[in-house]
Amino acid sequence: MDRHTSVARTPVSSVVVQRRSKSHRLSYRSNVGTMSHLGYTPGFSKRRLTTSRLAPKHSRITEVNPEQLALLVREWQLSYVTPLYRFRHGQLKSYSRQLAAFMVSEQQQGVAAEVGLESALKVSFTLVAGMAQTEEEANTVFIQIHSKPPFSAPDDPQKLLWSGWLTSVGGNPDYLRSLPEDFVCLPLFCSGGTEGLTALVKAWFQQTFDCCFGPLEINSVNLQWLAALWTDCHARSSIKQLKLVWSLPAEPPLEVTYTVHPQDAWELWRSIRQPGERGGEEEEDGSVGLEEVACFIKGLKSHFYRHFRVELSAGRLTQVSTALGSAKHGGRLKISNSSYMITTLTLLTECALLKMPI
Amino acid sequence: MDDLKRRLLQRIIRTMPTQMLKTTLSKWARLNIEQQESLDFTQPKFLLTDQLLALCGESGLGVKHITELEMIYIIDNPNQRLWHAYQLLEAGDDAHSVEVTNFKEQFKVHLTELIRHVSIKIKKHTDEAVWIRIAWGDRSSRPNHLKPTYVVHHLQTPYVFVTNLTSKTMPLLSQALVMATRYSSMKDANLSGRNLSAVRDLLMKQFQQVFPSKHLQPLGKKNQINSNPQIEREQDEQSETRLQIACEAFGGGTLPELQKAIYTLETKLKDNTNKIMTEREQPFRCVVTFKSTNILESLRHSAMTGIASTPVTPMLSSISQKGRNHFLITDKGPGPQRKL
Amino acid sequence: MSTLGVLGHLSKLETQARKRKEAPPQQSGLEELKATVEALVIQRDQLKAEIKANESVQKLRSEDPDQSTGGGEELGEGADGSDGSVNSQLLQLMARHAQLTDLLHAHHLIGGYDIIKTCQGNGLCVSLATSYEGVYLERYSLEIDVAPKLRITRHDVPTFVPLARLAEQGGALQTNLRGFLGSLSRHLNGYAGRKQQLKLVKEQHKSVEVMESNAPCSILILLMTVPQVKDIAVLCKLDYTDHTHCLPEEVTIQSEDKDLLETTQWKNNCTLLKETPLHKALATLIQSGDIK
Repeated sequence: MDRHTSVARTPVSSVVVQRRSKSHRLSYRSNVGTMSHLGYTPGFSKRRLTTSRLAPKHSRITEVNPEQLALLVREWQLSYVTPLYRFRHGQLKSYSRQLAAFMVSEQQQGVAAEVGLESALKVSFTLVAGMAQTEEEANTVFIQIHSKPPFSAPDDPQKLLWSGWLTSVGGNPDYLRSLPEDFVCLPLFCSGGTEGLTALVKAWFQQTFDCCFGPLEINSVNLQWLAALWTDCHARSSIKQLKLVWSLPAEPPLEVTYTVHPQDAWELWRSIRQPGERGGEEEEDGSVGLEEVACFIKGLKSHFYRHFRVELSAGRLTQVSTALGSAKHGGRLKISNSSYMITTLTLLTECALLKMPI
Repeated sequence: MDDLKRRLLQRIIRTMPTQMLKTTLSKWARLNIEQQESLDFTQPKFLLTDQLLALCGESGLGVKHITELEMIYIIDNPNQRLWHAYQLLEAGDDAHSVEVTNFKEQFKVHLTELIRHVSIKIKKHTDEAVWIRIAWGDRSSRPNHLKPTYVVHHLQTPYVFVTNLTSKTMPLLSQALVMATRYSSMKDANLSGRNLSAVRDLLMKQFQQVFPSKHLQPLGKKNQINSNPQIEREQDEQSETRLQIACEAFGGGTLPELQKAIYTLETKLKDNTNKIMTEREQPFRCVVTFKSTNILESLRHSAMTGIASTPVTPMLSSISQKGRNHFLITDKGPGPQRKL
Repeated sequence: MSTLGVLGHLSKLETQARKRKEAPPQQSGLEELKATVEALVIQRDQLKAEIKANESVQKLRSEDPDQSTGGGEELGEGADGSDGSVNSQLLQLMARHAQLTDLLHAHHLIGGYDIIKTCQGNGLCVSLATSYEGVYLERYSLEIDVAPKLRITRHDVPTFVPLARLAEQGGALQTNLRGFLGSLSRHLNGYAGRKQQLKLVKEQHKSVEVMESNAPCSILILLMTVPQVKDIAVLCKLDYTDHTHCLPEEVTIQSEDKDLLETTQWKNNCTLLKETPLHKALATLIQSGDIK
């Protein structure tokens, strides 16, 4: 049950396709209808993408390239970006220079002084290969800003001030195809560094590619998806533990951390998965349904309630983490294992596309 | 030795705000007034350390004296550490007659018998507590003054509060304490927290416990949970009952500040919608941690607002009623079903 | 002024009167008899009034036992006609007094403890009040499960009170609840008394320094100053070995001036400290100029 084709088949999307030619700022939301974000009402499942996902597969990329490794090192703050106008993957070198110049000029205007840019900057844009899932999908771009201390020798190690990347993994191909030629869609922006620097980089992008940024929160439903998808990986790559954090509106606020033994979490997950219905025991090809995710979380919650008689549903799921990665409600993400990176980023790309304004 | 003096002093000064440093130094009273007044508190702390070191040299003060300064500081600011509670078991007949001088002497004798390289300092604080600072060495090395263990004990009570204790030194401390207090053994009380007085109050039951009563106490007013007069007026009988239940479970008034409660659950997952898991033999292993700036207040509030169902489960009310915040829960045995 | 007393009195008078009737009339006694009659009439009226008052009190109590405290004059009027407010107030008070006496009696019957049922009758909550010298102090509570056997589930008794030992001793909790509560109450009152004395000492005698005290207030070390040509410091250690007591079993005194302690005066002072509440003993010592 490939979700991409299922969208293409529906009449709704074909209507939308016609409209696309008229406006390049096509809403992703109009393309896919109501999304999982509105909660799980498993009524008309097929057309809505997120009621079902492919079970995580071991990444197609057998060898992780060094550029991808750079994506693993730290925790990122997520934002969405609208399609970039006239962004050219061939001009990364020139962008490096332009961004550096932009930062310097801001520095002279006194803006950057506040963010601590006393020394010379070196900006580099690089390509991260092997992330795009289809022909239409744009390649991931990784940006680093290093500082050169004033009296350093040329071969002294440079200090990494800021890094970030723009990516699209498994974005809806119909949507991607519908974009006018001059637009490049890299909807997920991950940044790591001071807020001031992030703001500067965003400002340069906005100015140069006529795009806009917005914060990307990871809501409860998506955190639950991640919990389930990561747990699903346990048989192939140990998740060490499944940790879920809820925040309850007590006075003072109460935080509940629920850490489940990986094997037990996985067994609970297996007990909920319906292999017969989903087309076979072959884990590699199964898809995961939203009901299963809900059922998994419900199972965990009811075990909790049986002991503590405390309603977790009264609060909000704020964090999910396993050895594969961690995600927080405020839009912070850390990917700790490259093998299942694609699954995670596919989900987040979708979130970013949904978050985009019309 | 000078290096040790410097490092000790550095650590104390680094963590202390200037005003605190001033008062602590005057309490310490090892430097004369002129020396104290000569200190320039506006200079960077590393320079201040140098100046203090020079003054210590002048007055012939050694490591011993500097640990004294540390002790004064820790006694006044105990809440920067994590305190673990231990319980003394089976008081001997003469346990009630142990007094400070006697205790000091006995403790030192017993501990130095057990381990040769150890430095012990004992101080009786004004609130009746006996404070002990222990720097441990081992067979070959001198006592490490940079990682001291602090012990707080109120004589004639069965509790001991300890910070910075390793599993290696635990048996030594336990034996020396047991002998000096005339008890027969010591066990982990499964309670820890950053606020020493909260940990103490919980175990010594020095917080307002609420019991069922014929005369309903005006708890609502005491607790000031609803500051909005309209909401207060609207509190019906039901919420009054919830309030009473919540206070009976967790206590009334201001509650001792605990930051965490940790439950290790090894119980079967029973879910009538999930046959596979319910029939599974093995327990479902998980750890649940409640965190807040004051978990007892948070839980009481939850019980009042209905986030926690009433009656409150003993799992939660045990925190204040048993004075514990570490629990291992298993299904074993028909007797004490919950090993609380 | 009880009902029985009134009736008794009446029958006594009756017998007296009968005796008089039986006695041979005396010639000279006419005047005397007249006087007696008068006296008896007065007495009868008095007794009648007493009976009436008693009836009113009973009526008041049965009418509204809770409101008899309210000092409502209407109630008094209802019972006693137009007797005036002073009388009716008096009646109110009498009613209240009788009621409280009964309550106190009932309270003594259950051992003087406040006990209420909890958990739909599956539990008890006992509350023990402490007092010292007529001042009510802290109240301590125990929650006890009744089934399958008596078990203390929760309490706020201080840790140094050997609650578990008291409960186990001879199965006191199971078989002799009153006895158990009695010994617990003695421990609590002992503690409350010692604590209160210490508090009073600290408040009233600032010249005496409390060098040491412990949580149960069972060991106290005081530093006192004896005013002589040169002040002499006296260390006094009070040891309350029996935790149910408010007076020390042992008093030891130390001073550099050994001779001073050998004087009969100081030997008497020791006895005084053993036999008198601490704050009072110190007051006496200060008053007599033995200490500052």
